[in-house]
Formats: sequence, structure tokens, C-alpha cells
Amino acid sequence: MPTEILEAPETVLLNAVVKNLTALAARAWAKRWMITFTAPTGIGKTTAVDYADRSLPFDHRVIHCKQITTRYTLLRALGLAPGEKWTVHGRNWMRASDLYDRAVERIRERPYLLVIDEADRLSLDCFEILRDFWDDARLPMLLVGNEVLTEKLNRQHERLFRRIRVRFEQRPLREADQRKVLEFMGYEVADEEFALLWKLVGGSPGFAEALLENANEIAASKGAKRGIEALEGAARYFPMCRKAV
Amino acid sequence: MREIVRRAIQSRPELTAELLQRGMFGPEEKAELLPLLSKEGSLKGGMVGPVQFATLLAEGDAQFAARAVLRKMLGHHELTWLDRLLRFQKPSKKRDELTRIVERAMEGRKGNAHRNT
Repeated sequence: MPTEILEAPETVLLNAVVKNLTALAARAWAKRWMITFTAPTGIGKTTAVDYADRSLPFDHRVIHCKQITTRYTLLRALGLAPGEKWTVHGRNWMRASDLYDRAVERIRERPYLLVIDEADRLSLDCFEILRDFWDDARLPMLLVGNEVLTEKLNRQHERLFRRIRVRFEQRPLREADQRKVLEFMGYEVADEEFALLWKLVGGSPGFAEALLENANEIAASKGAKRGIEALEGAARYFPMCRKAV
Repeated sequence: MREIVRRAIQSRPELTAELLQRGMFGPEEKAELLPLLSKEGSLKGGMVGPVQFATLLAEGDAQFAARAVLRKMLGHHELTWLDRLLRFQKPSKKRDELTRIVERAMEGRKGNAHRNT
């Protein structure tokens, strides 16, 4: 099966985060490994996962975790074929163990790479299920999350932690990369503004976007164009930035 | 003093003013809140944009924000931003509970958001 990456859709800037994540996904699939990809919040992990979802040339499934994700919803997502609808209700409600068997059977029949975005939000029993999938079906996985993921796995899931072959830590973007991403996102940022942004949030385009959007709204409410004052005003909304302004 | 009124007084004035405008408070809560706000001179608040509104909720009192979400004071765009902004914060029980409430609201559900498992 070919493992080269398809061409990028035009809406994604192929920066280090996107490249590293897709390369790790391809590696996890080729070697049938379990890999973790951790990076600070706002760096563009979800964007990279979305890109990988569209471009990986082999069977894969992406699960975007939420705080409301439970063991049952996870099993349901893996037990159903893509596009299949959940129709078992009432008396025919399927037990978690049945769903698990069904998911394992399907993975054995037709393996795929499981990509879990925001894996740091998974609960304890979900991690246990992932370990079971690995043991019973050798399901290759790419777990994507922030630094909490490493901490959680280290502290609470030693058995799963031992099965992980590669633990990749993505560094925050460098100044030039951050600038490129912001430009790509359509923000025209003056040097003075960028210097303040860099001081406040470093290489986190997501956080920079939140500050810029706030600043845009502050400026708009005064009928003016966004400037350094509006950006400083926006920073005051964030306790972690207040000291730096 | 009612709990919600106490929280409204302690929140940033522009947030309380916005929620007042959006009709979050019932008549009795309003009757208690308005004199206190006019005494402090924080009744007049300019219009805040959707991202500003979500930021004020994310960075403010989590229980007050939860009340605003459960009383359907936020549109989908604002909920999406609130969800995003909550992720920038350090994980805590309060933040996780609020995130759950926001996620449930985005899916059109409400009510008890406690985790069963």
C-alpha cells in the first residue's frame, strides 16, 4: 500500500506541525505502532489532524475527543463502519462488551490507523479500552494532545505508556513561522503588534487569533482600525497576559 | 442576596451589562441587581462583540458562565469561541464542567452535565 502523502489542500499552510504530524501518522501505520504527538494548545494540532484526515492515502479514522466523550461513545465510533448509522435502540441496545467485540472483529478484518485528537481529554476507562484494542487487534494509533496527555499517561496509564513506541513533542512555532501562519490566516499585523503578540503568546497561532479577534472587536466598537492600543486592551481580558502588558 | 446577583456584581461590568441586555435575569433578580449596579455606576456598558463576550465568560466566574450557557444566552458562534478559549486554560474541575456544558449546548442538549462514569 502506498504511504506517500497526497498534495496539500490549498487552505492549509504546510508548516512544521502539519508535516510532523502527517509523517508520524504514516509511520504509525507502516510500522503498526502506537505514537503520541504532544504540543501546546493553540499551535495547530487540530488543523494538522484535519489535513491528515483529508490527505492520508491509507485507511484511517479520526476521533475528535470532547469532554463528553465516554467509553461507550468511543466504542460506538469504532464499532460502526464509516457512514453506518446507529440504529440499535431500546431493548436491542448493545452492551459495551458486544460493541467491543464487533470493533475488534472489524479491525482484524480491515485494519486502519486510529487518530485521536485531543486525547488528553479522554477519561481513564477510555485509555484502558485503547490498550485493549492494541492488545487484541494491534490497532495502530496516533494520540494527539497537549502536555497533559504525557502527564496523564505517565501517571495513570503505565501499561499503555509502555506500549507507545514514539513520543513526539512538537516545539512551539518560531517567530518567522508564527508570522507566516498569521499572514496565511488573513491577519495583517504591524511589526509593533507582532512584537507584542510574540511577547504575550509566543508561537501559538490559536491564542494569537483569539487576541487579534478581541482587538478587532474593541477597535470596531470605537469605530477605529485595530492598533496596538486595541491589542493591549484585548490582552487585559486574559489574566495570563495582563502582567506582560 | 441571591447567588446569581452576587456573581453578577462580582463579574466585569461589561459582561453583566451584556447579559442584562440579553435578558438572562428574571424579574426578581433584576429588581435586586439594578439598584446595586446603578449604585456602583457600572450599568452602562458598550456593546461587546461575540469573541469579546465569549472571552469575558471564559475568563470570568465559571458558574456564572455556565448559567449564561444553560439559559441560552449565547449563539453558536459564541459557543464555539467559548469552547476554544476554555482550552487555553489550565485544566481544572470547574473548567472541565463548563466545557462539558458548552459541548452539550453545542449539541443542543442541556440539563445535568455531570459525568456518570
